[in-house]
Amino acid sequence: MILQTETPLPDVFANLLGLGGFGAVGEFVAALIAAFIVGNVMLAMTGVAGPWAKRKITAKFTDRIAANRIGPAGLGTIPADALRLLSKELIVPEGADRPAWDVAPLIVAGSAMLGFAVIPMGSGIQLADPEVGLAYVFAVASIASLGMVMAGYASNNKYSMLGALRAVAQNLAYEIPLVVTGISVVLFTGSLRMSEIVAAQQETLISVGGLAIPSWFAIVNPFAFVLFLAANVAEVGRNPFDIPEAPTEIVAGFQTEYSSVYFVLLYLGEFLHIFLGGAITAVLFLGGAAGPGPESIGFLWFVVKIWAFFLLTQWLRSAAPRLRIDQLIEVGWKGMLELSFLNLVLTALIVGVVV
Amino acid sequence: MSLQEGDEATPEIESGETELEALLDDLIVDTDDHMNAPAFVIRPDTVQETLGRLKNEAGYDHLSLVTAEEYPDRYESIYHLKKFDDPTDEVSVVVPTDSENPVSESAEPVFRTADWHEREAYDLVGIEYDDHPDLRRILLPETWQGHPMGLDYDQDRPQMVPLREHANPLQDDHRSDTDSDTMFVNIGPHHPATHGVLHLETTLDGEQVVDVEPDIGYLHRNEEQMAQNGTYRHQIMPYPDRWDYISAGLLNEWAYARAAEDLADIEVPEYAQIIRTMGAELCRIAAHMLAVGTFALDIYGDFTAIFMYAIRDREKAQNILEDLTGQRLMFNYFRLGGVVWDLPEPREEFFEKVRTFVDELPDALEEYHDLITSNEILQMRTVGTGVLPEEVAKNYGATGPVARGSGIDYDLRRDDPYGYYDELDWEVPVEDGCDNFSRLLVRMREVEESAKIIEQCVDLLEDWPEDERNIQANVPRTLRPEDDKEIYRTVEGAKGELGVYIRADGTEKPARFKIRSPCFSNLQTLPEMSNGEYIPDMIAALGSLDIVLGEVDR
Amino acid sequence: MIGILKGMATTMKHALDGNTFTVEYPEAAPEVSPRFRGVHKFSQERCIWCRQCENVCPNDTIQIVMDEQRNGEEYNLHVGQCIYCRLCEEVCPVDAIILTQNFEFTADTKDELAYNKEQLKNVPWYKGSDPLEARNPDRAAWVGEGAGEVDYQ
Repeated sequence: MILQTETPLPDVFANLLGLGGFGAVGEFVAALIAAFIVGNVMLAMTGVAGPWAKRKITAKFTDRIAANRIGPAGLGTIPADALRLLSKELIVPEGADRPAWDVAPLIVAGSAMLGFAVIPMGSGIQLADPEVGLAYVFAVASIASLGMVMAGYASNNKYSMLGALRAVAQNLAYEIPLVVTGISVVLFTGSLRMSEIVAAQQETLISVGGLAIPSWFAIVNPFAFVLFLAANVAEVGRNPFDIPEAPTEIVAGFQTEYSSVYFVLLYLGEFLHIFLGGAITAVLFLGGAAGPGPESIGFLWFVVKIWAFFLLTQWLRSAAPRLRIDQLIEVGWKGMLELSFLNLVLTALIVGVVV
Repeated sequence: MSLQEGDEATPEIESGETELEALLDDLIVDTDDHMNAPAFVIRPDTVQETLGRLKNEAGYDHLSLVTAEEYPDRYESIYHLKKFDDPTDEVSVVVPTDSENPVSESAEPVFRTADWHEREAYDLVGIEYDDHPDLRRILLPETWQGHPMGLDYDQDRPQMVPLREHANPLQDDHRSDTDSDTMFVNIGPHHPATHGVLHLETTLDGEQVVDVEPDIGYLHRNEEQMAQNGTYRHQIMPYPDRWDYISAGLLNEWAYARAAEDLADIEVPEYAQIIRTMGAELCRIAAHMLAVGTFALDIYGDFTAIFMYAIRDREKAQNILEDLTGQRLMFNYFRLGGVVWDLPEPREEFFEKVRTFVDELPDALEEYHDLITSNEILQMRTVGTGVLPEEVAKNYGATGPVARGSGIDYDLRRDDPYGYYDELDWEVPVEDGCDNFSRLLVRMREVEESAKIIEQCVDLLEDWPEDERNIQANVPRTLRPEDDKEIYRTVEGAKGELGVYIRADGTEKPARFKIRSPCFSNLQTLPEMSNGEYIPDMIAALGSLDIVLGEVDR
Repeated sequence: MIGILKGMATTMKHALDGNTFTVEYPEAAPEVSPRFRGVHKFSQERCIWCRQCENVCPNDTIQIVMDEQRNGEEYNLHVGQCIYCRLCEEVCPVDAIILTQNFEFTADTKDELAYNKEQLKNVPWYKGSDPLEARNPDRAAWVGEGAGEVDYQ
């Protein structure tokens, strides 16, 4: 049982619009249309999450009301905020190292967008399904660190510099446990292809009173799941691991000097990364777009899962204090890394013995 | 002089005085009598010797305040000494210096806390201290001309001077010219964690703090001068609210009220004392709630739940205070000789409200413990960081929750009783961890103790006979304390020992009004706590000091 | 780990119980206690131009102008400079100046907050309540007593 269509989304469009006959140009146009749609859907979600959902969720946790002035439930805040942010003056710090300073926000936002290219989102939405899908998604997601370093270094600001260095240290420390834990899933599936990883999770693990529990890896290997979640939260830099920004210590870290559109890009990039983190988690551990109901609503389940991850980050934000940078590194290198390798070895043993 | 003592402890002081006279025999030039303590006049070049003997041999280990003032014929520095074991045992050391060349020996080698106090004296009054490690202006900008509390200060002189008239303050900004491993960072005056306009000149080695130097004075209003321009009876009382403006208003008012009432010999009716006690403890709860909330904010690093919950509970205390005093922050509720209003009618409703608040407090605190103190990450962050050993704390004159978090059992409400505290049943929470966590715990436990005090006050007020509800003593319309009467009185404010020194000159306004701000002394300990630690720990240590810049800068 | 989970449970409890402690301000005006001190209201009918309020004011917020016959001409009060200590109301022997509970005042420039006699007369009562009632019983306790010369002439 495979939820995903065998044909990636660009090919669907190519067939639909009859672009197939135009050769490479037609393929390119079809890919562009598909990427445009997927990209906009994700951007729309971050647009809802950034100016509205985050406020509302935080307000819920802190017994407040939050945005409620414009539109029903304050939803009108989203276009209003967009307009406000875009109409602000772009202040370029003296001594900024351009064009690195200008490129950095694009890299941060772009790297997350690239990641969505291989995510099977259900309902047949997947831009590409390369054989090395998982490796690709980890690779492009971590390009964001480069963007942060560029932003921090080019800003000509000491706080930004500290934030950039923290970002690198943190990403180095958590990338490895993240990938190693991801590999433990690959041991089960035997493939890095995203659609196959999802497909491997569709079999029924156990039937309880007629209710079929699928073999999602979160259920098969909850230890790996928790480990992956923690590393993922650190990877996207959310509380309790929001060290690169750390508002009370280094103002806003690498993004201290950014304003206006550049700030929006960085801000969107961060939310995109949260959603990408959620998407990877969903694909690796939560059966991708699987859920009750017909396959055609798979996308809805996918959205639910990535929003659940977003909610988790906000929940953690409400209750978890920030670690100190040295403690974070220590937890990363001395705790998570060992645990993730232990998990890998155990999984390998189990896979070797059982399967 | 014993007539003027006006203190029930007079005989003790007398006997102690002779011993001290014997101890300091060769140093004393003259004796003076302050209303709170005996005062010894010494020569300006024997300050260290005198204070050293008093500290090491007579046990006066707490330099509470350094007051500087100018007389027409001389300058005077007064060192107000106390004992941490018994704050009622006080002694003042008066150091007159000649008005042409006001140079006096610094007390800094004996008491570290004298560093900032003497800098302030130099800044505002103009006395210079020999042997001081770093005699610079502290509250006013480097370019300021003249000393505003000196007698010959020209108020009309413009202070906007071009940099060429003064040393360029930016010249030494690159401290790491020779040592390229360090980085100089200005934290503040506008920074999310400085709780106001505080500027920390920080030298970093990577993520670690090599040196931090607080630069204060951004909120300096010269509250002392403002008080000197107000009449005792009416015009001074509204201003203490504005020292520590984080809802600790009544505690501050009490500092002035205590000093002025003792100065003018006013007896406050018992009923008013109970109302004062209750109101002050409500303020303390409100202040500590904010301290806990902002400390959590510094550690959690985001606008998190705990801050809002703390604010929500603080809001309840403020609602009660609003009913009682008519304002939420700037109460102006105390008057010399009592309070301005009786409890609001209907009294039952008010009592009910206070009781509900006090009853709900344990649940709220339980929630804080769930959220903060039992959180493993918070413990990782706070236990063993920002360490302030007991001896260092004493040397810096740290008081209040900062001292009590360092194992110093010192609380003026118990040790130097005023108000109605000695009649009530409560405890002084002390933690000896000396770290950020201990200071947090002390504050949270103090909230519980304050609740206990409030509950007892409500019981007393409820049963008070209706015809004995006297909220105000009979105070003359115009207060003119005798010439040259000097008094220094302290109370336990929200942040520590808050004191007021007043010198009367026979008019209706004080000739010298000096504020002992607990935050000022506490903030001095920051380098001790954070040098060599990580930036986040310095931020946490700063948060745990719970400074209010309105009180630091006055 | 248990501690973090306990904290998360606590915040989730707050999120789910649906209570809020903030209010939608302009729609739901907060309850203000009867003693609250807001913008001043002045009554020229009552005022006897004794200038006690001007004298007692700690930061010279009140300015009174009189002609040679000691008839009042101007009564200016800068509500933006005022520290709301209520001393003027306390010393006023005839309740001519009273601090209402009205805390809502705005202006585009600081100058507009310098109220003259007419503006002070027209300050509305907050929610129609006259604060005098809430305060009158205690007035005597503070102002009425006291020996010594009266120096606010």
